[in-house]
Amino acid sequence: MKATVLVGLFGCVLLAHAAYATIQYRGVLKILEEEFSGPPMNVVVELLVGLGLCTWAALTVPGTFLSILPDSEENRLVSLPTNVDFMIFNHRGRVFPYKIDT
Amino acid sequence: MVGAAEEIQLNRLESQVEHGGGGAWEYLCLVRKLKVRRSEKVLKYGLAILKDPKKRSKLGGEEWTLYEQVSLAAMDCQRLDVAKECINTLQKKFPSSLRVGRLEGMFLEAKGSWADAEKAYSRLLEENPLDQAIHKRKIAMAKAQGNVSSAIELLNKYLETFMADHEAWRELAELYVSLQMYKQAAFCYEELILCQPTIPLYHLAYADVLYTLGGLENLQAAKKYYASTIDLTGGKNVRALYGVCLCSVAINQLSKGRNKEEKDSPDLHSLAAKALVKDYKQRAPTKVSLLTTTLQNMKLLS
Repeated sequence: MKATVLVGLFGCVLLAHAAYATIQYRGVLKILEEEFSGPPMNVVVELLVGLGLCTWAALTVPGTFLSILPDSEENRLVSLPTNVDFMIFNHRGRVFPYKIDT
Repeated sequence: MVGAAEEIQLNRLESQVEHGGGGAWEYLCLVRKLKVRRSEKVLKYGLAILKDPKKRSKLGGEEWTLYEQVSLAAMDCQRLDVAKECINTLQKKFPSSLRVGRLEGMFLEAKGSWADAEKAYSRLLEENPLDQAIHKRKIAMAKAQGNVSSAIELLNKYLETFMADHEAWRELAELYVSLQMYKQAAFCYEELILCQPTIPLYHLAYADVLYTLGGLENLQAAKKYYASTIDLTGGKNVRALYGVCLCSVAINQLSKGRNKEEKDSPDLHSLAAKALVKDYKQRAPTKVSLLTTTLQNMKLLS
């Protein structure tokens, strides 16, 4: 459990370092007066590794996945809703109007 | 969709409100959310809230939703005076609303003045020709007048435009079943299963239609769909269990003459029969003997 959190933190640090390295690289390019065409190779590798580690940690730290059971009490459907849009009033209730004692 | 847990909650709230335990507003909200039709209760408790200015002002903006709900319930209970009052209040608040216009149309429907209602809906459709709810009202009106075939015609036209409307597909299926046009109804249920494959009740309805159609192939398909209903409900749907039993009996009778040795799952019906007996023992112990003799007659239980 703790190890996975550490791995995730390490991934975050890698990502942060990649960002820092890119900023530095751009600074160097500005001094050399060259165009920025893309990040250097080591930053790309760092990004991919960081992403992989973070994703893995994010999927493992909260615990295993639970399956959604269609037949559990919360999910099991017992009746369909009334088709309210097609409700008609032409039924036997018409003969027996409802009386409210007010 | 009404889930098992939600149904229990609804019934609990209903009995609580009935015995004066409060929670009327929660009950009304749940009724609205689950779209169940309990018009008498909604009218009684909703009107009680609306008549009490203190309770009414507590609702804030929800007050108008309640007015709409109560007016619909009043129309369903033929209390046109109450419905008219509610609609008038809403009309004052929202003078040019389409939703209130539809309520007025429904009021005319409830009164039975079909021509006026038709006119009202046509006027609303001129302003807004793609309003689904009003198209549906027109279809419902044809149904209310007993003109099922024209309702089907209108509904088919409607579905050409709004194909993804599963409620309309369901309505069409039910209309076809009421006219005993099972092949067409089966098509509608196929559409519904494609639309929402996890709802067991569509599988069940489709299986029912197939079983009614009869024939060996249809019966086998029906058995499969009953089985999938059992799968999706965890075996808690008694109708599906009976369906499996009846299907296998019918299949046996049909294939006896041809002497076909094609038994894909020989245990399925006996398992279903056992599940039925178990369920009856738990919930209706007095009927168990009736069930066992019936199942023994069908040679599903030894």
